[in-house]
Amino acid sequence: MSTGFKCRNCGSNEIEEDNARGDRVCMNCGSVLEDSLIVSEVQFEEMGHGASAIGQFVSAESSGGATNYGYGKFQVGSGTESREVTIKKAKKDITLLCQQLQLTQHYADTALNFFKMALHRHLTRGRKSTHIYAACVYMTCRTEGTSHLLIDISDVQQICSYELGRTYLKLSHALCINIPSVDPCLYIMRFANRLQLGPKTHEVSMTALRIVQRMKKDCMHSGRRPTGLCGAALLIAARMHEFSRTIADVIGVVKIHESTLRKRLSEFAETPSGGLTLEEFMTVDLEREQDPPSFRAARIKDRELIQNMGVHELTELQKEIDAHLEKDIGKYTESMLRKVTKGKVTTASIQEKSDKFAQKSEKELELEESRQFIEASNAEAIKEFIANNTDADTELESKPHTAMANAMIEGLRPDIEAICRVTESDLEDVERAKQPMETELYIDDLNDEELDQYVLTAEEADTKLSMWKNLNAEFLREQKEREERMAKEREEGKPEKKKRKPRKKVIGPSSTAGEAIEKMLQEKKISSKINYDILKTLTEGMGCLTGDSEASAEEPKPKTVEELAQTPVIVEEGPISSKQSRGKPSYDMPGPSRKRVKLEAGLPVSQPEEQLEKKPEIALEADELDEDAEVDEADAEPEAEPEATLQDMLNQGAGDEDDEYGYGFDEEEEY
Amino acid sequence: MQFHFKIAEPEANATGVPNTTNPHSALQPQQPAVLTEPKDAQHEIKLQNIVATFSVDCELDLKTINSRTRNSEYTPKRFRGVIMRMHSPRCTALIFRTGKVICTGARNETEANIGSRKFARILQKLGFPVKFVDYKLQNIVATVDLRFPIRLENLNQVHGQFSSYEPEMFPGLIYRMVKPRIVLLIFVNGKIVFTGAKSRKDIMDCLEAISPILLSFRKT
Repeated sequence: MSTGFKCRNCGSNEIEEDNARGDRVCMNCGSVLEDSLIVSEVQFEEMGHGASAIGQFVSAESSGGATNYGYGKFQVGSGTESREVTIKKAKKDITLLCQQLQLTQHYADTALNFFKMALHRHLTRGRKSTHIYAACVYMTCRTEGTSHLLIDISDVQQICSYELGRTYLKLSHALCINIPSVDPCLYIMRFANRLQLGPKTHEVSMTALRIVQRMKKDCMHSGRRPTGLCGAALLIAARMHEFSRTIADVIGVVKIHESTLRKRLSEFAETPSGGLTLEEFMTVDLEREQDPPSFRAARIKDRELIQNMGVHELTELQKEIDAHLEKDIGKYTESMLRKVTKGKVTTASIQEKSDKFAQKSEKELELEESRQFIEASNAEAIKEFIANNTDADTELESKPHTAMANAMIEGLRPDIEAICRVTESDLEDVERAKQPMETELYIDDLNDEELDQYVLTAEEADTKLSMWKNLNAEFLREQKEREERMAKEREEGKPEKKKRKPRKKVIGPSSTAGEAIEKMLQEKKISSKINYDILKTLTEGMGCLTGDSEASAEEPKPKTVEELAQTPVIVEEGPISSKQSRGKPSYDMPGPSRKRVKLEAGLPVSQPEEQLEKKPEIALEADELDEDAEVDEADAEPEAEPEATLQDMLNQGAGDEDDEYGYGFDEEEEY
Repeated sequence: MQFHFKIAEPEANATGVPNTTNPHSALQPQQPAVLTEPKDAQHEIKLQNIVATFSVDCELDLKTINSRTRNSEYTPKRFRGVIMRMHSPRCTALIFRTGKVICTGARNETEANIGSRKFARILQKLGFPVKFVDYKLQNIVATVDLRFPIRLENLNQVHGQFSSYEPEMFPGLIYRMVKPRIVLLIFVNGKIVFTGAKSRKDIMDCLEAISPILLSFRKT
């Protein structure tokens, strides 16, 4: 079928397009001009097992045509990667969940994006998919501010809401999504609708909203379920609008226990706003904010404790303090009063005649003045302190935002440096770990008599044992059975159950590339198709090469690509090495010149065979001359598969890729 | 505003009922160095529970231990270890067949140590070749009351990396401090629970780090 295109090679117009195969072939020279054509029409063909659609399905999510590139490089037939399947499944389930929750498609898409993020970070491993989906949906609800509760979602999915909560927290934390705290106001409308308030629903919910806002001001909401607050507010609001809603009605809607609701109501009653009349409440906004009820309760408890503790203890303490004070006064007065009353003492020297009397009066004077002095200084100190205190308080009040900003810096800063820094206690811990611990039991300070009480006599022990045997008869029987079974299995030569291998350890940094490869190979067997022995000889060769590079250069080198391919470097079945087996058609390639370039690129590099492992860049440089697009591909290759850093693999793999790419690019340019 | 923290020292006879903490301890006479500064609150850190582990380094026959001691219980169907209790210091040990023992419920480090050694001694009395190896404090739980209300929402907003606050699940804010590695439960009424500490110093460090932060989120 001639379509008006021109063949790139021979310029012929005879081009056959086959939608079933999805390719376009020049009938003159036989070169394939395009494969993996995307068609919009669906055709069916009759097969042995019935009709089937022709071609491959390309989903909207698949990342371009490259996924099933090269006739199913990894998965023949299915045409979709496993991740794609996972995402497709997630999309289905999340959409279903959103429909059940009456969320629009927009929310489903957001949730799916969260899921993709989680999948990408491998957060889905080890968690049930239902939990992950639900957590993603809940995260969406929270970020978008819908009136859905955790329990609604767990209700729909039939999973434990705490488990879901844990998953949600883990996800939101790991994905660094800062989610605002729940606002109880969100749920008012939703619950109000369910209370069957008729046309007054809006009014009632507005009143309830006002009540909730007041409650929030009085800090009643922190640490409380939003449903409790909503329930209390709705109950009050409904009654304010002369609806007879009982507590039971509200409980049925907000799903919270009666005692909780009652507690919220009484807490609200204790706030000043709770004491207002209805009209007052709707019009007056009290400025003062109350402390949270739990805080007040704690203070009341404190006060009671002090009172209950007994007055006598307090007074005793007081007496003690008084006695100490008096003592102190006695000690210090003389020296101190000398200073203070110096002038007075000199004036008083006139009275020196009556020594005794004077001394007496002086002592009284001293006492009196010292008391005054102490009082004055005390008052000063207290005043100073109070002034300081209020300063601090007003500062905080006046700039709560700056304080918050400071707090953020305060809160985050120590972390970063603290993680890096090794503190003394860390070193101490290390030291302690090194030191051998005492192994003998030190019993000198133990009271043996007391401990003897715990030990039973022989008869007592017997009775306890028989009792225990009675109580645990079932367990003992089971244990016996199990042991018998085990013994039997051992006789039969059944292998014991293998224990699960512990998770892979993180590979530490290594000094040389060879070492790193070796370590990696030890950690994970990349492919059973790799000949590891030969791989090892390569690294050994590199080892001697580092000592003497000249000697290794003399070794026989493969001179051509064919030889290169024959050298048993890595035998991996698949697209990378089995160029021939893939049955690349031998018809005239559109870029024979390019192939030659590749040969040139391969040859100079292939000479110091062992060195290549170390510096694949040489190959890249050579390719660079060839074509830019190739470099990109070749660049990506060693990153994606570090084991393929060997020259052959790299070159051939890259070669394959650019052949294919060559087609695509040229074709695109043409049209 | 400045804080003074101290960990309440237990009374010498720590045998009584667990909740006989003396509220007066807040009024305890202070060290002279501290006296020079104006003090408005001394916050007392109360240790609530200490978990210690050690090993007696020999295999134990749990059935014998159970039958020969009066303070033990052993229901292998429910729990694989022997549970042994003690009056003074009031603590509980979980004894396992391998010789590993977990001692919980002690109120302070010395109690934990004495209790652990007492359990080991009891096992010794039963005729096991007991040693006392790898004694280690695994966890300390402590509480403190800062006596001011805290705005948990704001704290969670600013410290989202470390905290999680979901009133639907738990009324407190859970703050995971990285260094020292301690988890705090912060409640709106200013009470704080520390858990995961390995030593007293951890708790003091943690409180020192967190108190200025909490102060900035004080509800005025």
